[in-house]
Amino acid sequence: MEENTNGVGVDENSQNLPQQVKTEATIEQKEEIKQEKPRIEEKQPKEKKNYVLPFVTSETYSKHYKKFLLLWVIICLLIIANLFYMYSTTGDVMRKDVSLTGGTTISIYGNSLPNVNELSNYLSNKISEEVFVRTLNDITSGKQVAVIVETKADANLTQNAIEQFLGYPLTSDNSTIEVSGSNLSSSFYKQLIIALLISFLFMGITVFIIFKAPVPSLAVIQCGLFDVLGALVIANIFSLRVSTAGIAALLMMMGYSVGTDILLTTKVLKRRGENTIDYRMKSAFKTGIIMTLTSLVAVLLAYFVVTSPVLKQIFFILSAGLVMDVVGTWVGNAAIIKWYCDKKGYN
Amino acid sequence: MAKISLRIGILIISLILALFFIINFNAFSGGVQVSDVSINSSAFDAGISKGEIIKQVDGVSVNSITAFYDEVSKIHILPVEIKVQTDSGLFKYDSTVLGFELDENNTIISLSNASSASGLKKNMTVEWINNYSLEDYSFSDIKEKVEPRQRIEILTNQEDYIFLTNENLGISVKPLSKTNIQTGLDIQGGARALVKPERRLDSMEMADLKAVIEQRLNTYGIKDVVVREASNPFSGEQFLVIELAGATPKELQDLIAKQGKFEAKIGNETIFVGGKGDITKVCKDDATCSGISQCVRTDQGYSCRFSFELSLSTKAARKQAEVTSHLSENISNGESYLNETLDLYLDDNLIDKLFISSDLKGKETTTVSVSGSGFGNSRQDATLNAQENMKKLQTVLITGSLPFKLNIEKLDTVSPTIGQEFTRSILIAALVAFIGVCIVIYLRFKKMKLFIPIIITVISEVLLTLGIAALIKWNMDLPSIAGIIAAIGTGVNDQVVMLDESETSKSYTIKERIKRAFFVIFSSYAVGLVSLFPLWFAGAGLLRGFALTTALGISVGVFITRPAFADILSKLTKE
Repeated sequence: MEENTNGVGVDENSQNLPQQVKTEATIEQKEEIKQEKPRIEEKQPKEKKNYVLPFVTSETYSKHYKKFLLLWVIICLLIIANLFYMYSTTGDVMRKDVSLTGGTTISIYGNSLPNVNELSNYLSNKISEEVFVRTLNDITSGKQVAVIVETKADANLTQNAIEQFLGYPLTSDNSTIEVSGSNLSSSFYKQLIIALLISFLFMGITVFIIFKAPVPSLAVIQCGLFDVLGALVIANIFSLRVSTAGIAALLMMMGYSVGTDILLTTKVLKRRGENTIDYRMKSAFKTGIIMTLTSLVAVLLAYFVVTSPVLKQIFFILSAGLVMDVVGTWVGNAAIIKWYCDKKGYN
Repeated sequence: MAKISLRIGILIISLILALFFIINFNAFSGGVQVSDVSINSSAFDAGISKGEIIKQVDGVSVNSITAFYDEVSKIHILPVEIKVQTDSGLFKYDSTVLGFELDENNTIISLSNASSASGLKKNMTVEWINNYSLEDYSFSDIKEKVEPRQRIEILTNQEDYIFLTNENLGISVKPLSKTNIQTGLDIQGGARALVKPERRLDSMEMADLKAVIEQRLNTYGIKDVVVREASNPFSGEQFLVIELAGATPKELQDLIAKQGKFEAKIGNETIFVGGKGDITKVCKDDATCSGISQCVRTDQGYSCRFSFELSLSTKAARKQAEVTSHLSENISNGESYLNETLDLYLDDNLIDKLFISSDLKGKETTTVSVSGSGFGNSRQDATLNAQENMKKLQTVLITGSLPFKLNIEKLDTVSPTIGQEFTRSILIAALVAFIGVCIVIYLRFKKMKLFIPIIITVISEVLLTLGIAALIKWNMDLPSIAGIIAAIGTGVNDQVVMLDESETSKSYTIKERIKRAFFVIFSSYAVGLVSLFPLWFAGAGLLRGFALTTALGISVGVFITRPAFADILSKLTKE
């Protein structure tokens, strides 16, 4: 479904940019001439035009790749703008939960759970620090599973305040209490960010070893970064407060997302001479989009069903990253690689 | 299909091995597992601990929970005649328990139904019970002697326990786990603390510290303790991660954050300190030499005193004799005491002052009675608090002080009941996600027969990952489960690449096509693996599970299931 909206987005964009279309046309003509000679195997793709995803055909990239490139640049700028805005207003590129800032998380479980708004108001009066109260719901039974209170305040203070509101004590049977010191949490945060950077570095080196050529490698690597930062932006838009598990998911996204890019680059660069580049790109898209779609369906469904906050966070980040991956790979990477092949005269 | 290729053979053998590691064959030999032992019950005092497998109760094999409880319900303790002599006369009734509580003046402060039916009332003063005079025996001793108990024999996989029990045996059991998969704290419940030593420790000091913490927690009665080192790979900060699975004792903080430095002083002279050097034996869990002696009402509620005996080494006893020989005698309340007291300090706080009887002056006594108190709003609370304080004090006296001060940096307690809810939702999520993936694959390839190999590989990958996790005794926590699901996502991705590759580029043979697919698969695998690597070290290793299961999942995928899938695929397409 995401692919469809993306397709629409591309069309709208092209309508808004008449100037761009003009330059496109001239390039298209050039390409027509270039493609004259190696069009030996062109018959096959035409027979197989009617696929599940009809909006990407052999012509899509050859006609529109400059628009794609522009769209990719715009999205990159929007991502940077969002992160910059976040940074200037909150002091960091994301909202962090208490596992990264230090503080107390108390999850209350049981059959008669308190009203979130009432509890929130009560605690705001009792505790000087900011208090976040939210519910955790089980989509399969429609029941409210837990009420989660997060605050930077001291554990005993928070626990006492909640107990006063509830009128019964919090025990190991009806609650989960997590307390993190602020020094440790900020140290965890630093460590995880460094881990993320190292992960990015490792990914980049491995990609370079696989493809050797700098431009195609960078096109793949950009996608890893694009997905991770894009996922952060989606998390910011949904006001998600990122935990240690969330950063682990971002780190995993780094390696996970480049699978489709490797597929695309392999098909385009390592199989030159088999069919046309446009055909190979289309076939890579066809495979890659199913890969992303299956993963997305799996993690998105899992996101809605699981009740554990840790898993919910992980699956949210993975879903967001996969949505971004469609753009990063099939708008960004595809356009860059097509442009690169044009420059080099590859078919 | 008649011939099984090498790769499919490898898959089958790996699966058999994985199942062998996952299945708990002990579960078939019968028994039930102890899920909990209530503190201060007779089973607890006998030393039965959580996790043991009970094979027999009184010589009868127990293979199910009902069989166990049937056998336990046979513990039928017959009521005995209880005779209570009070200031208001003699009262007789039949009961298995005394059924009343006394305050420090032996005045009845609470009654049960049976005892009150006999005519006993609050505020009566008890003089003797069944020939045991309260002048000669403490109330708890009499209770021990008068209340009927029954001999019980419980054979577990570790020991044959024979002990006396009252009606409250205190063991809860669960069916034997059918698998060897261990679940993490966030699923089975428990407590985890991340502590930082006050200064940098070398590896010897770290090992000492770990040993003392483990011993201290074990002595206190917490059995499943894991203490492991962790460090910040970038700054070199050291941490210890202490995990107690299935238990969330509120005392954890006291037990590890307090150094537990015990000193007994007369004036400024230290007589003895906690630990093996000065103390040879501490009386613990033995009613004859440890217990709650008396409770009094105070302004704020109740205060109970505990006392227990300990044996000093000859060196410490000599020291005491030397110091006391210089003291003079004082007479108060008709009894003669020395003019200085024995002061007990815990972490430099004075916890008790003990008067020293005059006849101990200059004597080398190795037996010392140590006491302290507990407080509470009700008598019961005060008793519990005193018992807790006594246990903590006994623990530090046995184990000595922690060699280094520790700061608790992170403390999580997870309710054991919540994990079950999480597990249920994870299983549903896995099923729903799997169905979702199948639908997408069907819409794309429109071939039902492709499902068989996909289902086989997905299930194989889960089993192989779990098999390795069971083999290396990895605790499956929530991030580990997320890792498995993510790895399966990669697995399905690779299968899509292979399916597509086998459909297109018809000019190549099926083998060549699959070989081409493997280039993409191996490249993605390499990238996926290296990018997970840093997660192993960051964050005190708390997210290791995620990195480990993902890495395991994608590795078994690439090396075992994918080659087999390729073979199955070429067989299917040949037909």
